[in-house]
Amino acid sequence: MQREVGSCPLAPSVRSRLIAAGFHTVQDVVEVTASELAREAGISEDSAVKVLQILRPENQRGSSTAQKHTALALLEEEQAQASIITFCSALDESLGGGVPLSKVTEICGPPGVGKTHLCMQLAVDVQIPECFGGVDGETMYIDTENSLLVERLVDVANACVLHCSLITQAHQQDDQKIAMQRFTLNHILSHIHYVNCHSYAELLAQMLVLPDFIAQHSKIKLVIIDSIAFPFRHSFDDLSLRTRLLNMLAQQLIHIANQHKLAIVLTNQMTTRIGSSESLLVPALGESWGHAATNRIILHWERLQRFAALYKAPNQKDVTVQFEITHKGFRDVQAVEPETSSSKSEINPRKRPREHDKEYQP
Amino acid sequence: MVILREGLCPGLTADLITVLKKNHVRTVVDLVASDLEQLARKCSLSYKTLVAVRRVLLAQYSAFPSNGADLYEELKASTAILPTGNKKLDTLLDSGLYTGEVTEISGAPGSGKTQLCQSIAANVAATLHQRVCYIDTTGGLSGTRLLQLIQCKTQQEDEQAATLERIQVIHVFDAYKLLDVLQGLRQSFSQQLLRSGEKLRLVVVDSVCAVVYPLLGGKQTEGMAVMMYLARELKTLAHDFSLAVLVTNHITKDASAVSRPALGRSWSFVPSIRIQIHRDEKNKQGENRLVSLVKSSRQPANLQVEVEIGWCGIFEEKNMSTACGT
Repeated sequence: MQREVGSCPLAPSVRSRLIAAGFHTVQDVVEVTASELAREAGISEDSAVKVLQILRPENQRGSSTAQKHTALALLEEEQAQASIITFCSALDESLGGGVPLSKVTEICGPPGVGKTHLCMQLAVDVQIPECFGGVDGETMYIDTENSLLVERLVDVANACVLHCSLITQAHQQDDQKIAMQRFTLNHILSHIHYVNCHSYAELLAQMLVLPDFIAQHSKIKLVIIDSIAFPFRHSFDDLSLRTRLLNMLAQQLIHIANQHKLAIVLTNQMTTRIGSSESLLVPALGESWGHAATNRIILHWERLQRFAALYKAPNQKDVTVQFEITHKGFRDVQAVEPETSSSKSEINPRKRPREHDKEYQP
Repeated sequence: MVILREGLCPGLTADLITVLKKNHVRTVVDLVASDLEQLARKCSLSYKTLVAVRRVLLAQYSAFPSNGADLYEELKASTAILPTGNKKLDTLLDSGLYTGEVTEISGAPGSGKTQLCQSIAANVAATLHQRVCYIDTTGGLSGTRLLQLIQCKTQQEDEQAATLERIQVIHVFDAYKLLDVLQGLRQSFSQQLLRSGEKLRLVVVDSVCAVVYPLLGGKQTEGMAVMMYLARELKTLAHDFSLAVLVTNHITKDASAVSRPALGRSWSFVPSIRIQIHRDEKNKQGENRLVSLVKSSRQPANLQVEVEIGWCGIFEEKNMSTACGT
């Protein structure tokens, strides 16, 4: 069966002209020259040249075979890829080593549960040098809620530098010492590329320039959008347009993540779904958005404790783990990081003062 | 609907085509449908030539009738049933995925659609030794997970590697690229027919919705057209090369809050078999999923089974096999 002209990504006006002139299959079109095509279909020469560029099979092949490989190659690629650790070993373990590269991870939760904190933690952690088991990348931080607190980011970054320097002292390895000279607070902050988007139009525009920006800054390994929900939760009359834009955005994101082998982290708000017998707190943006992210983590409160539930993950079990937020950032409950607990626990008590939590309680 | 061109059939010369074009006869359909006597007079062409050309064109472009007995013979020769690796699911699907058909799995986020796809792909590659083409449009496929599933099937490492090599993975993220890939698949089939060996038996598209949704909604109608092109391509691919095609779909809720497969009515005619998977409402954290049959040409509808998705995907662990269907 021949490929039809209608199924090709052409401008609607050009396409209808071609079909009216009797060019129904791709074969019909590619056999003629550009000037013939322009004359017969009544389109300009420029657009005829463009049509031929799109439809000529040699051009098509170049673009589609790039993404083809066997599952064995995929597995090798995955095994070679590191993950971004969260500094909460329980969550890392449940995600299979941390936030995975070339996937989209969504973090949902009610206000104040620590979504932005987790984002800040990841923005810092992605920069940990390779000799410490990190990714040695840079961060693109797209903020739509103006919720990034630079002073907290400084705390988190300082804690991370301290952590690495303690490892260096304990192990006394040369490569780590060299890496530590570069890995400072200033270095971390200067490698977080921060963008502020105030409306969904700005966000969509940012998505279009993002591939170019990433091409220029090839070390970017993490793109954070905090939050995806905010620009889309107001000023939309046409909900089907919203769904369409969100789905488009989702495909763009996963394409970027896959092409550039970087992690994308989104945060999402929660909303109440009113059921017949009970109402539930569910992630916002509707049911179909739920398919957008590959991994979905839902953060929630249970009494005074914070929990992270892995709700959706293609290669991990669904589990719920406990975490807490200290002044140093996103951490396990109690100081139980086996390899560093000896060096760190006496310096900083990890427990967060409980009375502070109460203000956040609903 | 082919444009008249020199060399299309004997007797159709360049001079003849220019004369015809002047009289607004551009395509094969125009020529076949026109009154030849009138046309011959108007263009001062030989009536005999026109009739001869029309006869050849008709033979070339018309559908070819065949009788039921032949169809049945062909069916017996070409159809295969690919078991899914789970007994309960196989009963639901009448023993597995049929080649020549499009099977659809729909479900809410996190309900286990991708798990089901990966398990079936692993089963076809590992136990049937057939090749699988896995088209991933959501980034949900994980090589690590596939390996885990294959490890449940075989212990030998070289066999595991061979199985992984049988699964071809294609990442595409928009509908037009997906059409390109399917077209490429078709081309590789025509070249591959000469080559013997392991045949491609299963094409998985996870998910169709992800690529079609960005084109639907709002006030644009283009998306519907692309969706139907995709539908036709999948169906003809399944039929022409006796492939089993497995696609995944999202679900939507209608006015009465009953969940249905997404993509609307026009898509609902595309898959021959539709199954819907959902989490057990009573036991949210459990690994059990309810799988129900929504559409089938062989089985009574509304058949429902409970399938456990655990470490081994949908494969039964050896010591447990408790059937429970309703």
